[in-house]
Amino acid sequence: MSDALADRIRDARGELTPLLEEARLARLARSEVPGADSTAVCAWNHFENIPTFFNWNNRPR
Amino acid sequence: MATVNGMRGVSRVPAYVVMQPTTLCNLDCVYCYLPLRAQDRRMPVEVARAVAADANAWAALGRFSVVWHGGEPLAAGRDHLGALMAPFDAAVEQHVQTNATLLDDAWCEFFAARGVRVSVSVDGPEDLNAERVSRAGRPAYDRIVKGIGALRRHGQSFAALCVVGDPRPGVASRLYEYFLELGCDTLGVNIEEREGVNERANAHDPDAVRAFWAELVGAWRADPRIHVRELEWSLRYLGAVLDGTSDDLLPRELDPIPTVGHDGAVVLLSPELAGFHDAVHGDFSSGNVLHAPLSSLLAEPRHTSWVPEFLAGVEACRDTCAYFGFCGGGHAANRYFEHGRFDGTQTEHCRNSKINLLDGVLDHVRRAG
Ligand code: SF4
Repeated sequence: MSDALADRIRDARGELTPLLEEARLARLARSEVPGADSTAVCAWNHFENIPTFFNWNNRPR
Repeated sequence: MATVNGMRGVSRVPAYVVMQPTTLCNLDCVYCYLPLRAQDRRMPVEVARAVAADANAWAALGRFSVVWHGGEPLAAGRDHLGALMAPFDAAVEQHVQTNATLLDDAWCEFFAARGVRVSVSVDGPEDLNAERVSRAGRPAYDRIVKGIGALRRHGQSFAALCVVGDPRPGVASRLYEYFLELGCDTLGVNIEEREGVNERANAHDPDAVRAFWAELVGAWRADPRIHVRELEWSLRYLGAVLDGTSDDLLPRELDPIPTVGHDGAVVLLSPELAGFHDAVHGDFSSGNVLHAPLSSLLAEPRHTSWVPEFLAGVEACRDTCAYFGFCGGGHAANRYFEHGRFDGTQTEHCRNSKINLLDGVLDHVRRAG
């Protein structure tokens, strides 16, 4: 990665950290939904707890 | 500059296969990329049987899905779609991507009985849905809402895919609120792309696109109930950069994502290429499941004429683009339809949906902080 982009991200560490924590808690809340096994967000797929075809990388649309 | 790992070559085993039960769609969306959407060419059951022979084996090894995509899969009818699904073992996840207009109680019962997961295509509130129209050019919005109402009545959870034709500030928070109200649990946001037979230009003002994504983060943050694909991935990537693990975040190899057309023809990596012809690459296909097992068609991806050119493009992205560890190198169809080749790097698509996305998220934190 270019140092410029990495630096911009690291410079934002202070503001990013609370956002990342909110995202972590939101994921926990979603998997705690009763009956989570039958929802569209039920199985682990490398990074995403979502349908395989919602995968980020080289996914269809 | 450290080398980002992952996305080297194409895996022999896919995580999912996209199937086209019919070429027909009952809508005629302005931006659609499908060339045969007015014709009803149905997939014979032998094609599904041939795919299932490998899919059942893959599902025994790990998570594996079949995605019934279009055309409009529900236009194939329940009897035919049921017959196409029958050869797949229960361990194979079944998904449909539907325009929702044909959804009713009977379809919801069909999905519940088979454990099918549903994703709907809807672009937001009525005025933002104007591109989704019938063949007579009439808005499909009322029928979409009625179909989604059936899902909700049946307690069927669903994902949504949204195409944004005009990404700018003001639009993102409206959209997010709309999808909260709609009740989807997962959302994918696609900035309109130039692909297939959709030749409308998709150059958007980069500042407006960044502001769109920044605003989406703000709206999501106020009520993060929905898993928004673009934001999840951005935040996971940003977290990995802070932890120093971002060079190893991408999958080791590209997923081949075979698309199996109605006639059994297999196109790798980009469903949007299915049904097209090129003077050099012919129909882009890697063979037909009626003539050889799918697993054998995936054994040598480099034998498909355009795939080596595409892999050279991925390596060019790795060598030149600061966003590669986040992006993974862009999609084959975007390169082809924008550049006429597979080995270019930046496209309008990657500026809109990768570069300006990550920059928009960073803009948000800078402002919110
Ligand atoms: S952002 Fe564009 S140029 Fe960069 S890696 Fe992705 S596709 Fe390639």
